[in-house]
Amino acid sequence: MHNSKPFFLYSFLSQRRRFLQCVLCIAFVILLCGTKAFAQGNYEIQVYGAATVEPKSTMLELHSNFTAEGQVYTVDGVYPTNHQLHETIEITQGITNWSEIGFYIFTSAQNGHGVQWVGDHIRPRVRVPDSWHWPFGASLSMEIGYQRAVYSPDTWTWEIRPIFDKAIDRWYFAVNPALERTLHGPDVSQGLGFAPAVKIGYDFTKVVSGGIEYYADYGRLGSFDSLHEQQQQIFAVTDLNVSPKWELNFGVGIGPTAATDHLIFKAIVGRHFTWGKQSPVD
Amino acid sequence: MGALTKADYSLDIAPYSLEVSPHHVIRTIAYNGQVPGPLLRFQEDRLVTVAVANHTDNNEVVHWHGLFLPSDVDGATEEGTPPIPPRGQAHYTFRPRPSGFRWYHTHTFAGGDLKKGLYTGQFGFLLIEPRENRARYDQEVFLALHDWKASLLGNPDGSMDPVYEVSTINGRMLGHGEPLRVKTGQRVLLHILNSSATEVHWITLAGHQFRVIGLDGNPVPQPKSVSMLRLSPAERVSTLVEMNNPGVWTMGEVRKHIMAAGMGIVVEYANNNGKPRWQQPESLEWNYLDFAAVDPAPSFESSVTEIPLVFESKFAGHGAMDRWTINGKSFPDTDVVTLHRGQRYRLLFKNRSTNDHPVHLHRHIFELRRFSGLPETHGIFKDTVLVESGKQVDVEFTANDPGLTLFHCHQQNHMDEGFMMLFRYA
Repeated sequence: MHNSKPFFLYSFLSQRRRFLQCVLCIAFVILLCGTKAFAQGNYEIQVYGAATVEPKSTMLELHSNFTAEGQVYTVDGVYPTNHQLHETIEITQGITNWSEIGFYIFTSAQNGHGVQWVGDHIRPRVRVPDSWHWPFGASLSMEIGYQRAVYSPDTWTWEIRPIFDKAIDRWYFAVNPALERTLHGPDVSQGLGFAPAVKIGYDFTKVVSGGIEYYADYGRLGSFDSLHEQQQQIFAVTDLNVSPKWELNFGVGIGPTAATDHLIFKAIVGRHFTWGKQSPVD
Repeated sequence: MGALTKADYSLDIAPYSLEVSPHHVIRTIAYNGQVPGPLLRFQEDRLVTVAVANHTDNNEVVHWHGLFLPSDVDGATEEGTPPIPPRGQAHYTFRPRPSGFRWYHTHTFAGGDLKKGLYTGQFGFLLIEPRENRARYDQEVFLALHDWKASLLGNPDGSMDPVYEVSTINGRMLGHGEPLRVKTGQRVLLHILNSSATEVHWITLAGHQFRVIGLDGNPVPQPKSVSMLRLSPAERVSTLVEMNNPGVWTMGEVRKHIMAAGMGIVVEYANNNGKPRWQQPESLEWNYLDFAAVDPAPSFESSVTEIPLVFESKFAGHGAMDRWTINGKSFPDTDVVTLHRGQRYRLLFKNRSTNDHPVHLHRHIFELRRFSGLPETHGIFKDTVLVESGKQVDVEFTANDPGLTLFHCHQQNHMDEGFMMLFRYA
């Protein structure tokens, strides 16, 4: 079951390269700040599936993401991402058999900055009920939240994420064409950004699935950034379906564009809890 | 199957729109434009011919479930019964036996099309009248439990299974069919059939008890009153109900979501009216052994030949239904086991999967002999038994009806995905 909920906290990345490129990079970022100031934010890296958490049950997830190769300089007051370890706690409560609400606590750990609280988000989500008999899974997520300016110049952001997925035999496909908007911060006047995510998975066995996850931020709708400035990341991932109670996802990702952190390791460990007496006649 | 014999009964297989409620019309395939099909009453061992006309675009075949019939009329193409081609006809001529509550139904492949095979309305009651009536009753009622509008949904164990939007008794959702009208003091004989393609059902009648007198149409050695019945797909229960609690009551599925999907019927005493009363049970209760013979079961005899049958699933992806195996092989590659006429056999059903399986043996009746961890039992004769996940059930039968004999799980999706095998006679 693919019932998790990824998102990219912010989209645009400042770039990181070698020392000789740094001055140019800083100048580039400063230039961009006038038009687009999304910050690096690999706090929850996950392509959402359409399923929601059942009522009377809770999914508790820990997202651990380590940027092995990222931005090394403080840019415009935003901490560098290089060697940041992001730990995100996600708590999702099922409301009905077609709705849930999620809550996030973002943290960051890094040499020189210690363990820091980054921000919180809240995310209600509804899905198309099974009784509608759609030929694919579909849901809609809305996410709003705050993050500290030292981790993102845009402190209040909003995201709407349509989610579509489909399992066919051993294959699994998910698409999240997300739209993002800044509510407070330098990008407040920039309108909607387009940040799609895609997953293709294959069941090697009942327990072990492998696949590719793709995350991107193309920039403002109607005026996409050049490829060089876009965020583009590809992860090789594995999902371990050891039990309906557990969700395990591990991956390693590369960012080939200049605006992307270049090497990230991610892990998701989730545990499903049910509450109240489970009656056999319900 | 004779082609020229004059028919005693006829069945027309044709598309049909079933109104299960004013808000739900189900387009399906049915016998004679009704769901369930017509009640057929045959005299035991008296030759009968049924003419069947197939007005659909697919091959069809009618299986006479629970009867001792030759393979060419039993109604399974795997045994050699010829299929009825689209727009074609066939005559089934046979001597029906044994007596008891049987049924007839389609025995075709559905695969991923959840509007074919047992997902349709192709089922009906079949009563083989005994030479003497054993049961004393004032009214005899036939009830069929069925599920409709299936779709595939991922389940927690990783594969996909059918789930249903609508559930009915005798083709009607609760509150939308004629009530079962009774009188105070009556003994009502209920013949209940689970014709669902895949679902087990638990049934209760608020304010009353069921006195179970027969399982799969065969008398039980120890009739007993219970508050709830469990019927897996293809199982039947014959039960007497003493109508001694006047009022208007609901009989229906114990599980709330299936009752909400429509599986219920109103039981109305004469001169009573008002809203039907329902008493919600809080647990699911059923034990075959409640009805077993009380005298000690004979111990296992060495002359009985054991045949172990191990049921396992083979993962085919989270977006697919599992494949099923018997002793490691899926039909049509399953081993054909040779039987010797007159020999007693003990089938050891070992369910190593995470699903329960209602397994059915064609053309024979078997005796329940042992359930996992329990002592030997005897006296209950059936043609279908539910083997629970992780458990073993042993049954015995005597090979006394030569011909190819099909054995399979009666869940449509399981038999379609390989859970079948054949026995042949030497």
